[in-house]
Amino acid sequence: MSKTEKFREKINAIIRAEESWEAVGQTPLPQVTDLRNWDFRLMRTYRPFYAPFCDLCCLCGLGKCDLTRDRKGACGIDIATQQARMILISCLMGAAAHGAHGRHLIEHLIEKHGEGHPLDLGDQVNVEAPIIRTVLGLKPKTLGDLRRAVEYVERELIHLVAATHTGQEGSNLDYESKAFHAGMLDHVALEACDIAQITGFNYPTSVAETPLVELGWGTIDRTKPVILLVGHNAAAANSMTDYLRRKNLLDKVELAGICCTALDTTRYNEGAKVVGPLAQQRFFLKTGIADVIVTDEQCVLADIPALAKETGAALIAWSDKICYGLDNVTEKETGEIVKMITGEKKQVLVLDPDKAAQTAVETALALAPTRNKVILTPEQAVEIAGRCRRKCEKCNQSCANLLPVATAVSQAGEGKLEPLADLFRKCTGCGKCEAACDFNLPILKLMAAAAGAEKYRMRVGRGPIHDVEIRKVGSPIVLGTIPGVVLFAGCSNYPDVGDVAWMAEELARRKYIVCLSGCAAMAAGMYKDADGRTIYEKHPPSFDAGGVLNVGSCVSNSHVVGAAIKIANIFAALPGRANFELIADYILNRVGACAVVWGPYSQKALAIGTGAIRWGIPLLLGPHGAKYRRLFLSKKEYDDWTVIDGRTEQLVDTREPTPEHMAIVVETRERALPTMIKLCMRRNDTAPGRAIKLHQYVSVYKEHLGTLPDDLQNFVRTERDVPLVYKKEVLAYLKAAGWQPKPTLSLPTIIGTYETKVPVSATLR
Amino acid sequence: MPEREFLFVPYYTVNTLTGTKAARVVSDPVEAAEIIDRARNPLYILGPEAITAVVGEKLLLEYVFEIVKTNNILTCATAHVKKKMLAFGKRPDCVYDIIEIIHFLKMPDWQGVRGRGPHDLVLFTGVRCDLAERGLATLKHFAPHLKTFAVCRRGHPNADYTAPVIPRMEKWREYLEGIIKGLY
Ligand code: SF4
Ligand code: SF4
Ligand code: SF4
Repeated sequence: MSKTEKFREKINAIIRAEESWEAVGQTPLPQVTDLRNWDFRLMRTYRPFYAPFCDLCCLCGLGKCDLTRDRKGACGIDIATQQARMILISCLMGAAAHGAHGRHLIEHLIEKHGEGHPLDLGDQVNVEAPIIRTVLGLKPKTLGDLRRAVEYVERELIHLVAATHTGQEGSNLDYESKAFHAGMLDHVALEACDIAQITGFNYPTSVAETPLVELGWGTIDRTKPVILLVGHNAAAANSMTDYLRRKNLLDKVELAGICCTALDTTRYNEGAKVVGPLAQQRFFLKTGIADVIVTDEQCVLADIPALAKETGAALIAWSDKICYGLDNVTEKETGEIVKMITGEKKQVLVLDPDKAAQTAVETALALAPTRNKVILTPEQAVEIAGRCRRKCEKCNQSCANLLPVATAVSQAGEGKLEPLADLFRKCTGCGKCEAACDFNLPILKLMAAAAGAEKYRMRVGRGPIHDVEIRKVGSPIVLGTIPGVVLFAGCSNYPDVGDVAWMAEELARRKYIVCLSGCAAMAAGMYKDADGRTIYEKHPPSFDAGGVLNVGSCVSNSHVVGAAIKIANIFAALPGRANFELIADYILNRVGACAVVWGPYSQKALAIGTGAIRWGIPLLLGPHGAKYRRLFLSKKEYDDWTVIDGRTEQLVDTREPTPEHMAIVVETRERALPTMIKLCMRRNDTAPGRAIKLHQYVSVYKEHLGTLPDDLQNFVRTERDVPLVYKKEVLAYLKAAGWQPKPTLSLPTIIGTYETKVPVSATLR
Repeated sequence: MPEREFLFVPYYTVNTLTGTKAARVVSDPVEAAEIIDRARNPLYILGPEAITAVVGEKLLLEYVFEIVKTNNILTCATAHVKKKMLAFGKRPDCVYDIIEIIHFLKMPDWQGVRGRGPHDLVLFTGVRCDLAERGLATLKHFAPHLKTFAVCRRGHPNADYTAPVIPRMEKWREYLEGIIKGLY
């Protein structure tokens, strides 16, 4: 047996190739370079755009090296390749964070239920793991199978990490291809992780109308013992719910969370509360409302031990990712640990989520009656703000969100609190302003006092999109009559927290399908209309035109990518098994979807976004996204938009830049809205579908930019595409712009425009 | 000849330069006017702060109108700036979002706005400072064929030329008026 055959045999065993649910495609368990041609094809149209964050490289002992312009490092690397290497490193951080999270949860749940525990996503979800099926070629049936998926991710990651060492890769395009690989692996990890927790914790699935839960720091009842959960792994939080339930204490203790642990806790316990997104972490910790802070992993502040001491709250860390230098007391009895915390005021590391959970509850019960949780009143805020020197502006200069802090604080000192309340909505909670202030003004507390404690409601994460929903909307999405699917994902590094609710509402009322996850799902709920309703109370929770869905936490993003895959696999009946290119090509050319990370900061969000691009889903980033330092842009109408007509297998120059870019940063929400609408256009749109999309594009552009779109001619293929309401003016515009009709295709594909083992004929069902 | 001043730490510390090639500070508005005047085919990029920031009695945008008028400088309206320009009866010469126009500018063979040929000077006003800084970094590294000038009171180390850090509004107004005066 040759080496290749042996290797193939090994792969076949992992994915149980003999199972006949679908024939195994071209790329089972793809390795680092297996999808390289696909990546290079994407980058032929969507070139990497770099905005160096730093002109130097200090990664090895030959440096520092100044890479300005055409200078090279001692190792020979240039500035573009160095940017791409940093991108790969960031994507690896993100994929590893999700992968390790998945690995931990899967092992934790296998310990509880056994590795043969079947994956059951309910009667509405038969295609249980579209990403794992498409990437690996494995149809996972048990928790043990999810372990196989994560083991594949781990094996690939080691090769990618190796490629970042000095003296490895020398091409920015190859680094980008590897970053795509890391992004795709990230999606495998996300899916494995969320399916594991849905199955193992019995989270909602196969139901769209999940309960509404309380959101906002105003919902926390501070007269009760309060446990604050910070991070992304809900293993301990769910164990707390069990313990509280067993002890009949569920309504006596407040379980509140920040970030995705909060979201996943509400999937298990609808009485748990969501304080808010990551941006509210520092401020909420400073209020001292939490009696016990329980940290797990990812996006948790590194200075929580100091913040906890500041307010006299207890701290229990339980993840091996965040140990804070604390004493490991895992082997001690719970009662003893509680005494150490309450008596000796010790902060502790308990590396067992169940023990950490019991300890947290017992500590909260013991500690809460002794604490005095006093919140700053607006009057006190005015008095304290009166100490501001205004002119020094050190707060402004250090503000990571470029906010007018000095003006707001000094006006508060004069009794005008509105600017400070407004600042609270824009503040990302970095705390740099406070650190810079020579007069020690507690700016975060002042903001919170000015803003007051708001109460909102949000829908519990619903998990996967149902197969039935896909069958229903597959056709209108592919034809274009549902104008698009927009996923708001990622972190809360927003220019303004209100932007997400605004954009989501604008799209939902225009009949887009709006999916939300993670911090974006919380941010969308933090706005009420004139009738006091949040977006979740206004729009249906189904995956259908005008629906607004919270899919869940960061790891639940996989279900939206999964929905795009299912449109190809279920609706279009394309074989997905180990067929990455075929499915991604379908999504790129025919599924009008885009992902939005409006408040990007984390490496995890970068990995998710980069993975989405490899699947053919364009990415729109808010202004902080420029700090990721890499985008993928076309040259718009100046580019070559030749594709293959799948029916005739002939090359056709479509002259149509759709989707226009694969990753772009946009500065304002008014500009983001028309950009999203454009990013949902696909070459496959029928004339009525394109007319609907163009109707939205024209109306939004007119509203926010004042005229017909300046690039309208690029997106009208024939007169039948022109939206009826604007027909006269659009036709006049097109005439003046020298517009010529463009070809329309019902089966556009880029398979066949690059070297691939996938035959063009495979794109035909 | 006075010693040249370079900007490494601008108003916003997030934009502190980690590199060696920093912008030359153009403290004298007359010199700023000369730089603009010397350019063969300049392009003025306008960001959204230009339509909200008030300087003295006027919007920042209105100062830019005065600057571009003198030499018939082409304008690019980014974000949603176009609508406000129209309200003033001015049409931008092109409409792109900030990253898109930078993408075009870094291509040495791009024939420029209105096909007038490659731009040799690109001026920035009103773009969100952290975003502008990243865009300027792109042009610094990948567009050696052009020069950039950040007409922004917070200062931009990644530009070729930058206004100095001008915290006081009155001084900022004087600077802008100084440029306009220098151009006439
Ligand atoms: S990795 Fe290369 S560029 Fe970076 S410090 Fe080392 S030699 Fe210099
Ligand atoms: S805490 Fe908020 S206001 Fe203060 S510097 Fe950070 S983002 Fe700016
Ligand atoms: S740094 Fe402190 S004293 Fe100075 S303006 Fe800001 S809040 Fe006021």
